[in-house]
This record gives sequence, structure tokens and C-alpha cells, in this order.
Amino acid sequence: MLRIGIDVGGTHTDAVLLDGDAVMAETKALTSADVLSGIMEALEAILTDHVGQEDSIEAVMLGTTQFTNAVIERRELSEVAAVRIGMPSGRGLAPKVGWPDDIAACLGDNSYSIRGGHLFDGWPIADLDEAEVAAVIDDLVSKKVEAVCISSAFSPMNPEPEQAVAKRVRAALPTSHITLSHRVGRLGILERENAALLNTSLLHFADRVVTSFVQAVRGRGLNCRFFVSQNDGTLMDAEFARHYPALTFASGPTNSLRGASKLTGLQDAIVVDIGGTTSDIGILQGGFPRESNVVIEVGGVRTNFRMPDLLALGLGGGSIVSDDGAVVGPRSVGHKLVGEGLVFGGETLTATDVVVAAGKAAVGDAGRVAHLDPEVIATATSRITEMLNLGIEKMKPSSDPLPVVLVGGGSVLVTEKLAAASTMLHPEHAGVANAIGAAIAQIGGETERLVSYDQTPREAAIEMVRAEAAEAAVAAGAERATIRVADIEEVAMSYMDGNTTRLRVKVVGEIAGLDRSSDRTAST
Amino acid sequence: MMLGAESLEDLSLGAAFLATGGGGDPYVSYLATREVLEDRGPTELISIDDLDDDAYVVTIGAVGAPSVSLELLPSVDDPEKALLAFEKHVGRTVDAIVSFEIGGGNSLIPLAAASARGVPVVDGDGMGRALPEAQMMTYAIAGVSPTPALALDYAGNVAIFETDSTATYERHIRAMAGAMGGMITAVEHPMTGRQLKHSIVRDTISFSIELGRVLRENRGNAQRIADPLRQAFASSLYGEMFHLYTGKIVDYASSIVGGYDVGQATIESFDRDAPPLTIDIKNEYLVARIGDQVVGSVPDLITVLDYETATPINAERLRYGQRVTVYGIGCPEFYRRPNALAVVEPRCFGFDIDFVPIEELSTHHLDIEG
Repeated sequence: MLRIGIDVGGTHTDAVLLDGDAVMAETKALTSADVLSGIMEALEAILTDHVGQEDSIEAVMLGTTQFTNAVIERRELSEVAAVRIGMPSGRGLAPKVGWPDDIAACLGDNSYSIRGGHLFDGWPIADLDEAEVAAVIDDLVSKKVEAVCISSAFSPMNPEPEQAVAKRVRAALPTSHITLSHRVGRLGILERENAALLNTSLLHFADRVVTSFVQAVRGRGLNCRFFVSQNDGTLMDAEFARHYPALTFASGPTNSLRGASKLTGLQDAIVVDIGGTTSDIGILQGGFPRESNVVIEVGGVRTNFRMPDLLALGLGGGSIVSDDGAVVGPRSVGHKLVGEGLVFGGETLTATDVVVAAGKAAVGDAGRVAHLDPEVIATATSRITEMLNLGIEKMKPSSDPLPVVLVGGGSVLVTEKLAAASTMLHPEHAGVANAIGAAIAQIGGETERLVSYDQTPREAAIEMVRAEAAEAAVAAGAERATIRVADIEEVAMSYMDGNTTRLRVKVVGEIAGLDRSSDRTAST
Repeated sequence: MMLGAESLEDLSLGAAFLATGGGGDPYVSYLATREVLEDRGPTELISIDDLDDDAYVVTIGAVGAPSVSLELLPSVDDPEKALLAFEKHVGRTVDAIVSFEIGGGNSLIPLAAASARGVPVVDGDGMGRALPEAQMMTYAIAGVSPTPALALDYAGNVAIFETDSTATYERHIRAMAGAMGGMITAVEHPMTGRQLKHSIVRDTISFSIELGRVLRENRGNAQRIADPLRQAFASSLYGEMFHLYTGKIVDYASSIVGGYDVGQATIESFDRDAPPLTIDIKNEYLVARIGDQVVGSVPDLITVLDYETATPINAERLRYGQRVTVYGIGCPEFYRRPNALAVVEPRCFGFDIDFVPIEELSTHHLDIEG
């Protein structure tokens, strides 16, 4: 059985056709303005030699930057009514506080703050006020609101107020799109609410993207299942993605790291993705990217999404090299490398020219760099090596040696063994590692809760949160029997009584209902 | 000097630097204070030199668990309500307000109260940094009674404290903060202008704004920020700033002991050309050592910046693998006095070491990339 992985990036749309672990076809196309025609072009390219095998394709996995870009470019965002349950706390800090004006305006100015929510110890801040809820519902109905975001203080600990209000909204406005904050974000009400607001605002667009994608691929004769990449390196069913588009943010770099793991079989490694302008260095731990712990801004909005921890160096194939070779980057000719670089007939000395001049890569016309001073070449080469070594040293979790996996088009820049690496791997198909990462992923589910180990013993608490994460994974398309815990994070909370702990459990499982007889990717 | 909403971003950034790992994320306090200043107008910031000796001054700020306020949002009118309730209790109006802790969000809350009530804020605070307990405040060290004091919760409920013992007050307000949702607004340490003149760490609000400006204008790699920061501290009431270390966190463990976030971080230099640095944490960064050698300790300031962005990092946000730069700064002179050291020296936090001023330790510093 075959799988297709597609990764839509800002510049390129990559696609691969996999038979188990084997790459049967791969392509790199330009991302089109409408995205879909670029996807179809990539799909066509990988199916050229496999016409007639459409029925053997069991699934198409799509990783896409469309939703991140919609937020950054303030496109395709629909109006959202925000309902926050937490009064009388937070008076004067309405939903969308602190947002840039332009994106706040895209979501309109319908927001409601009502009584309810909980304190850290489970005590109610206030009970839901029936009359207040009814007034909100009446207003939503009179304004014919189509998208509603509901958040509540301490909903990661007690989601009932969000659920109760959602039930009322659904009854009054059956066709409305609703996001509950405890389903998309982590602890921290503003950041979680922001994440939920962005998600709600993207629901209309997500509906259209998923529908047109599925229709187009079906139209090409593929009657298979469809999945979308999440930012933690797992998949969700395309139907599920209609409800959680914000979970796709930053899935590109994650897929690249996951693909590098797949291509090398390594669970713990450093992955260096070298492009035209930057090198992104990430860490694989247990086959998944190490996550960043800082507040993540998406289009200027503070969120607490899970994102891979990446170090971006200003070093790529198009990096401009100073005349004496001592300075490489961060200025770059970028995507104009073909045209401006010396070996491509241009006038600018770039990192790629240096590598070609050193005889370490066959790109463009080597004759055009034959005149370069060997000393300049040597200086620039050692500078490139030094930059990568230092970057890797910064990211390495400990002094223990780790293998380094090189992916991306600019990986030709690495001409000698890096001292920071135990071994260096240059896997085949590295240029499309992100599409491979999308294709091989499992279904994921994650739940974060605040629990008191005094009230609920640790084992029972973990089981409770695991069960919730497993339900999320099943809803996203996982087969229940295959679900296993991928990660448990426990953070003790200062000042709180009763051994209060922020407990996060991530689970992964195989895709439900797929024939796995030929699937050799199961045990990552 | 009038402080408008536009000063608050720099003030919060500077306050996060001076928080030495504690004090919580000032972001929500920043948002709430900004709303008040935009709505009610700028706050007047006056020098301690211009304060009348007989003025009636109080401190105001949030007390409780920063991690709790991640979900329990403050209200923009909490500071005003707390002050009004306090004035009602003591039967008189307040002439001026002062911060008790410059490190973190409590640098901002006094501005909100002052703007709403139309009284000035005195430039300075009672710590010059962040510290975990009330008896460590300069006001308490100078013998100012913490009470009458008042705590206001999210719903406007009020508790009054009357005790002359700072230790009793600290114990009571901690318990009350827990019962009131984990985070309260406290009005405390009422005193005269004369008392404040003897106990304030002066000019820290204006210095924090200056520090924030330096951090903002030199945003980027921590190497770039070192010289401008050093210059800023050189012309302040703080001591000299030293680069202690640059590297990545290779070990970080913390646990909750007696309500405090107690832990230790180990930082290793990028190319391992120096032995690792360890930092002991009890809410704040308290003791830094390279091997067995102490290179900085409380009450001197130890602060950790993100290496790529030069953003100050709270202890609760430290994480394995982070790339950081660590600076040590001599504390304001007040804390070098014997009666102050008696309550803030390393032994008060359970470390069996003598306090040695950071400038006397400086010969041991390994100057790595900074």
C-alpha cells in the first residue's frame, strides 16, 4: 500500500510517494498563489510513473503553511465572537487585549465577559449566571454570529463552564463554528484564549481548504483517506482539521525533523536544515522535535502553542561572502542564487561559489570561480564550518556526542566533518524530508491538566489525563488499540497547595482503518 | 516627571531584568496598568528628595503565586479599589504611593493606583530587585511596621491585617492569598515621608525604564548588549555589572519546597572550554558558582538572559537546552549594611556560605564571549 506526503512551504511544495519506507517518487514544485494548483502539479509529478496504481494509495498527508500565513498576512480571517467566562476577575482586560490593531479588527468587536470559571484549587470564581448566559445567546442570535470562541478561567483543570456555554450556543445557533479554549491551548488564559480565537477565526477558511483539497485529489482518482500535519509532528484526520486549523502552525519544520528521523532511523540526533538564507538547527529527542518553552507569537498575537525549538543561523547556499572570505552571511542573495551567484553567471560571491571553488560540489559552472584565491576559499570554508559547529554546540542538549543529520538544498555547504558531530549523515531524499515527515507520521493527541497529587494519586492522575489525550487522538483518527504514550511532562506549581502539578500527556497511535500489513513505519 | 502608557513597555522589560528570575511575568500587570494610564491619564513620578517629610505614603502591589495569575486575571480597577478600601479603613487619604518590589509586575501596579487616585508615585522601591519575603524589604529592615495592611481579592473582598510583627504579617498574608484565589492586591507599610527617606532604594523606577530602553534598543544577541548594560549600571545606584557566564542549560531540576520553587540549573559553555556554572534558585537566582567557587550571591543580583534575544528569563521558564548569558550586578548599598545582610545574606536562604561582594569575586570570573 502506498502513501503520499505533501508539504506546502512558502517557496516550495514538496511531495513524495512512499511504499512503506521506500521512496518511490519525489518532487519539488513551486508553491502557487492559489496553493491548490501547486499541490496538484506536485501530485501529478509523483504519479507520472505510477499511473494505474491510484487504488493502492491508502492515504494522503498534507503539511501546510496556509493557516499560519493567513494569520501573518491577515487574510481569510472571519469575525469571531469571544465569550470569556471568568468575571469578576479580569475586569477591563477583554478578549484580544494586547493584540495588534489590524488583526484585532479582522475578528470584529463582539466580545463578552461573563461570570464563572474556577480558581486554582477548584473553588468557583462565580457560578454561571443563567440570565447573563441567556443575554449573550440572544445577542449572538440577533447578530447572526457564525463563529464563537469560548474560554474559561482554569478550564484546563475544569472545562465544564466552557462546555455548558457551548451547549447553549450550539442549541441556539446550530450551524455556528465553535472552539473551546481547553481543546487547543495550554495553561495561561490569555495565551490559550488567543490560540482559540485564531483557531475560530480560521474555521471558515479551513472548511474551504479541506473541501477543495479533498475534492481535487479525489478528482485525480485517489479515493483514499486524508490527513493534515500538526505542529507536534503528528497527524489529524482532515475532517478533524476542519475544527482545529491552528494546530497546523509550524508543522513545516517539525515535519522536516521527523522526516530526518525516518530517513536515518535515528531517534536522538541534531538536524541541520540548510536553505538559501538560513540554517535551522533542531533537536530530535525520542524521534520528535524538542519543543520551545518561550511564548510564541503568531502574527503578533501571543499564544502558547507547542513549537519546535529551532536555532536559525544566517547561513545558507546564497549567503554573501566578503572579499577576504572572513565573513559569511547573514546577508544572502536568497532565492536569486541562480542568477546572482558566480557559478550561475552572476557577480556576487556566495557560500555556494566557495564550495564549488573548493571542488566539493558540482553546481553551475566551476570555471567561473577558478580565479578565486585559494586562501580566500580556505578562510570562507573554515568560517562556514565554524558557524555550524558553534550553532550545533549551542543546541546540543549535553556534551554527549550526537549524530548530525543534514537536510535541505544547502547541505552541500558542509564539506568536512563537523567537530560537534559524532557522525554525519547525508541521507538520500534529504531535500524532501518534510514531505516524508508528513507521510510517515502517526495520529497524535495531547491533553494538559492541572492536578493535585494529594487529591488524586499520581498514577491515577496520569491515567486520567492519558485517557483524555487518547480520546483526542481517537477523535483525530487514531486506532484505539495502538495508542501509546509518547511524552509525559510534569511541572510542579509554586505556591499552590496539595502538590499541584501541571501534567501534560501526549499520545500517538496508528491511523484507524488502514491496512498496515505492508506498513513498516509503525514503530517510531 | 509624568509617566504615560508609552513608558510601560520599557519599565516592564527593565523590571524583568531586575527581577533576578522571580517576580513572575509582568505581562498581565503591564496590560492592566496600560489600560488605567490610557484611561485615567499619566502618573506623576516624583523624586524622594521632593517628598514632604510628613507625607503619608503606602506601598501597593500583588502578592501570591505568579503561576496562578496565569489563569486568574487581575482587574484594571483592583489597585484603585484596594487603595480606596485602605483609606476607608485608616480614615485618611494617602499622599503618595511607592513600590515595594521593582522586580516584575510590582513595579507597575503602583502606577495604576496612583493614576486612578491622582497622587504621585515616589521613584524607588523596597528591594531594588525581587526577593521572596516581606522581612527582606528595606522598609521592614528600617523598622517600618507592615500594618495596618489590606488585601483585596478578585471579587473585591477585603481582609485587614493588624500586627507589628513582619514575620506574622508575612505568614498571614501568604495564607490569605491562598484562600483568596492565589493572587491578591496588597496595600501595606504605611509610613511617613521621613521614614521612606531612610528606607527607600531610590530612583529604581526611572532606572528600570532606562534599563528597558537599553535592552530594547540593543535587542539581539547577548554579546551586543553587554557594553550598553554595563554603562547603564555604571551610572546607577547599583554596583558594577559582571559577565558571569555564557552557555546552555544542561541540567535543570526544581521542586516545590515550603511553597517556594527551589531548584538548581547547570550551564555549560558552548565549546566546554570552562567548567560549568551552577545557579541555586529559590524563586529568584540566589547563588552562582563555577565549580566550588562562588562567583555571585544574594543580595547581589544574578540575572539570566536568553542568548539569542537578550530577553530576561524567569526561573520558572528555564529549560534544558536553553542558550543563556548570566550577569551579576552589585546590589544597592542599602543591602550591604550589616542589619540588611542579616536578613538577606545567603544563610537566610539556607546556603552555608558567607556573603562576599561580587566585585571582590570578580577576579575569578572567566570572561567568555562577553
